[in-house]
Amino acid sequence: MPTQENNDDRIALLQGTLDLLILKTLLLGPCHGQGVARSIQRQSEEVLFVDHGSLYLALQRLEDRNLIQAKWGVSENNRKARFYSLTAKGRSELLDKTNQWNRLTRAMGLILEPQGLKPQNEEG
Amino acid sequence: MSKQKRSAEDFAEEVRAHLQLEADELRSEGLSPEEASRRAHVEFGSVRAANERFYLRSRIQWLDSILRDLRYGLRSLFHSPGFAITAVLTLALGIGANTAVFSVMNAVLLRSLPVADPTRLVYLHPSHAPHGTGTINSRETLSYAIYETLRDQHPGFANVIAYVPLAINKVAVRYEAQPEEAEGDMVSGTFFSGLGVKLPRGRGFTEQEEKDHAPVAVISYNYWTRRFARNPEVLGTTFYVNGIAFTIVGISGEGFEGLEAGRSTDFWIPLQNRPELNAWGNPLDEGKTYAANPTWWCLRLIGRLAPGVNKQQAASALNPLFQRAAYIGLGSPVAGEKPPTLNLEEAKGFPGFSEEYGRPLRMLMAMVGFVLLIALTNVVMLLTARNAARQREFSMRLALGAGRRDLLRQLLAESLLLVATGGVLAWVFAKTATRALASWAQIESSLAPDRTVMAFALGILVLSALIFGLAPLRIALAAGPALSLKTSAATSNADAGRSRGARIMVAFQMTLCVVLLVGAGLLIRTLRNLENTPLGLRVDGLVVFGVNPHVTSIPQGKAFYRELISKLRALPGVESVTVMEERIGSWSSDNSDMTVEGRLPDVPNGSSRTVRSNVAGPDFFTTLGIPVLAGRDFADSDTETSPHVGIINEEFAKRFFPNRNPLGRTIGTDDARFQMTVVGVVKDHKYRSIDEEPIPMAWYEYAQIPMAGRMDVELRVHGDPLAILPSARKALQQIDPNLPLIKPMLQREQYNLTISSQTLFARLAGCFGLLAVVLVATGLYGTLAYRVNRRTAEIGVRMAMGAGRSQVVWMILRDSLVLTAIGVIAGIPLAFAIGRALASSLYGVEPLDALTYTLAILGVTIVAFVASAAPASRAASVDPLKALRTE
Repeated sequence: MPTQENNDDRIALLQGTLDLLILKTLLLGPCHGQGVARSIQRQSEEVLFVDHGSLYLALQRLEDRNLIQAKWGVSENNRKARFYSLTAKGRSELLDKTNQWNRLTRAMGLILEPQGLKPQNEEG
Repeated sequence: MSKQKRSAEDFAEEVRAHLQLEADELRSEGLSPEEASRRAHVEFGSVRAANERFYLRSRIQWLDSILRDLRYGLRSLFHSPGFAITAVLTLALGIGANTAVFSVMNAVLLRSLPVADPTRLVYLHPSHAPHGTGTINSRETLSYAIYETLRDQHPGFANVIAYVPLAINKVAVRYEAQPEEAEGDMVSGTFFSGLGVKLPRGRGFTEQEEKDHAPVAVISYNYWTRRFARNPEVLGTTFYVNGIAFTIVGISGEGFEGLEAGRSTDFWIPLQNRPELNAWGNPLDEGKTYAANPTWWCLRLIGRLAPGVNKQQAASALNPLFQRAAYIGLGSPVAGEKPPTLNLEEAKGFPGFSEEYGRPLRMLMAMVGFVLLIALTNVVMLLTARNAARQREFSMRLALGAGRRDLLRQLLAESLLLVATGGVLAWVFAKTATRALASWAQIESSLAPDRTVMAFALGILVLSALIFGLAPLRIALAAGPALSLKTSAATSNADAGRSRGARIMVAFQMTLCVVLLVGAGLLIRTLRNLENTPLGLRVDGLVVFGVNPHVTSIPQGKAFYRELISKLRALPGVESVTVMEERIGSWSSDNSDMTVEGRLPDVPNGSSRTVRSNVAGPDFFTTLGIPVLAGRDFADSDTETSPHVGIINEEFAKRFFPNRNPLGRTIGTDDARFQMTVVGVVKDHKYRSIDEEPIPMAWYEYAQIPMAGRMDVELRVHGDPLAILPSARKALQQIDPNLPLIKPMLQREQYNLTISSQTLFARLAGCFGLLAVVLVATGLYGTLAYRVNRRTAEIGVRMAMGAGRSQVVWMILRDSLVLTAIGVIAGIPLAFAIGRALASSLYGVEPLDALTYTLAILGVTIVAFVASAAPASRAASVDPLKALRTE
């Protein structure tokens, strides 16, 4: 199983959370790996850092579980790239996991209220 | 749903694409192309590590899924132990029996001699040996004079090699103080070098050593292991053969057991020329050893073709020389004699073996192959039945999202488990069975499974794994997720196609079963006929043993036997005693032409003049219980000085004295040098073996002909014949304390040895027949039980509609009887073919023997009945209400 490597002062992602972020990103439409990485970084206002090697293995894992599907295509600047999109199964997974996550962060938030929201937790 | 596994190459491609996209983006943010590319790489981290992780991940997944499949397969087999055990045992028996028979066939027929380039070696086999010669085997052996000529000139050959045993069985040897027996051959100086047999320890012989009759010996690897515990110090030590000292100079390599068919030679010495070491352990013939006797053709010859010469060229180059050499010491050819010729036969295996065992072994292989077919179809049927019954489980799993690929993989894993377990058991079974076969067939050469046998067994295993993997494929594909929604078994029973497959297999099994039973029946009847063949003598109460006195002159030999006979006669319980040169019922016989009233008799064109002769002592026919039809038996009053007398059998009288009274007429050896008066005619009887036809025979009186040496003693005793042996041994050792009784046994047992290969053949065929019956019965039972199970609902409906129990039983029985009938009808022509192929192995029974066919058909029908009875009665006990309610 892939492990996270922390080589930056940005916050590295824990396993499982990356999967959720990928699914969420793909909800907006098909995208290639590099686009997913950029999108996560950009949307988290550069706080979250995505290890590229791990990203591709996570994509593969999701594909194996039939949560996303992939096919080769051409990017907007005419580069060959592998495009990922959500499957129906992926959509319902995203829904489930988002609900779980919301319940979790809410619970964490209740406890950690004064410090503000900076949740780091393990999730299955 | 299922998709191609993603390749590592595809993943690497994606990573490359990422780096380009990232670099493009960084460049658009204002970095220089070099800087952009560098940053993209840095951001990504190690490309190689990512690729490795991808590769490892798919590997682990693959291993993981295999382990999971095997675990799952094991669990599901444990859930149906009856099925698993039946399938594994069926496989083990089928494959094991095949491997065993194949090992023997491989060792006997297929394996080539363990020599360099065996395809260039040929046996030199004569045909039409000249008049006046005696042979060991008229189609295999040659004289020393011929060997000498061919050795020295050898046109078309690189060399010609001779070899000959020192005794029919074993020869007396001594190493240090311990006297014992071993199998030894005298061979050419070029034996090891010419055959290309390497001696890892010590050396072989030289041509000079053959000329000098040098006292050196090479021992075999097996003998070295068995007798000397692989002690390398034996090289250079002394080894006595019949009292003559030999120095051990070499030890053969592992696997070389000599050229004697089915035997394992213990040692070799160069060709000798002395009375103690005559060929075949024979006493000297008129004072001449084999080397000085051109009329005794006793050596086997093998040769290596010269480079670039083929068999035909070598034969035509060698034959003119051979035809001259064949008459050395014999004078000129008799008018009308066919010229002797040498035939070159490929020396791939052992001579004489193919004739004796080739046919039976090939037939056995075919029969055991049928057993394997039955076993394989059985397992396929069981697998199909089981998987069809599990169809709902499969549909459920498909509906739950498993791929067809996953299902198939799991079925394959189950087959693999069955085949692997069956294979391991089969190997154990085969090793035991091979040993048993070898001891029954009296094959001493090594039958240890070699690479060919392993390849054969593995081949069958792979084949069965494939068959078993493909058989359930259709089921796995046929099971759609929708099926689990169907609730009625009555509807799923509509898959007629599948049950048609099972029915064809049942009929096919019945066909094979009929063929096997007919084959086994014919062979068993042959054996019974042989066992019940009247021998023409009263064999009960007879015991025989050999004696080999140490005598140096003929009078001394005669005196020895006179004394022995009188001592044995005096033993309590002995009714009568006689001696003979050739033990009756031991396959050996002395065949030659004989003169009748001074000249060779005229025979109708093409018929044989050959007479079988033996040398016999007083009371010979009385002791054996052979009726004397006219005249008298030999008596003590026939001595060296009294007129020479001979006795003939009915066949001799009929053939050479037609319409004349043979008594008082003279017969003699083919050179007419020894003449005797016929004083008796005896009834024809079995002489050499049980299955022989009557042949003209003549007996010489032992006291009157110039021979002394090994003879066999026959005793007729009251009570248990074997109980006389201790006192007989004592009587013999009173004359010479060093003499053992050679191969003492009941005369009945001696005759039975002549049908040992038929006995083996019949017993094995019987075993295979029985195995086939058991397999067919389990197969049919399994299939029917499963089908009745599936038709429970239908049967329930029928019974609810008023069908009686007997009608239900009949419905099931009719089904299997129809299949049996089809199988039998297809099997009978096939059995005809097998019967015809067996014809030459049959005795007293026709290939179309009606009784055998009737019994075989009856047997198959009974099997069908018995196997159907339980499922049919289960069908009859179906409770219509319950059957319908479960739906």
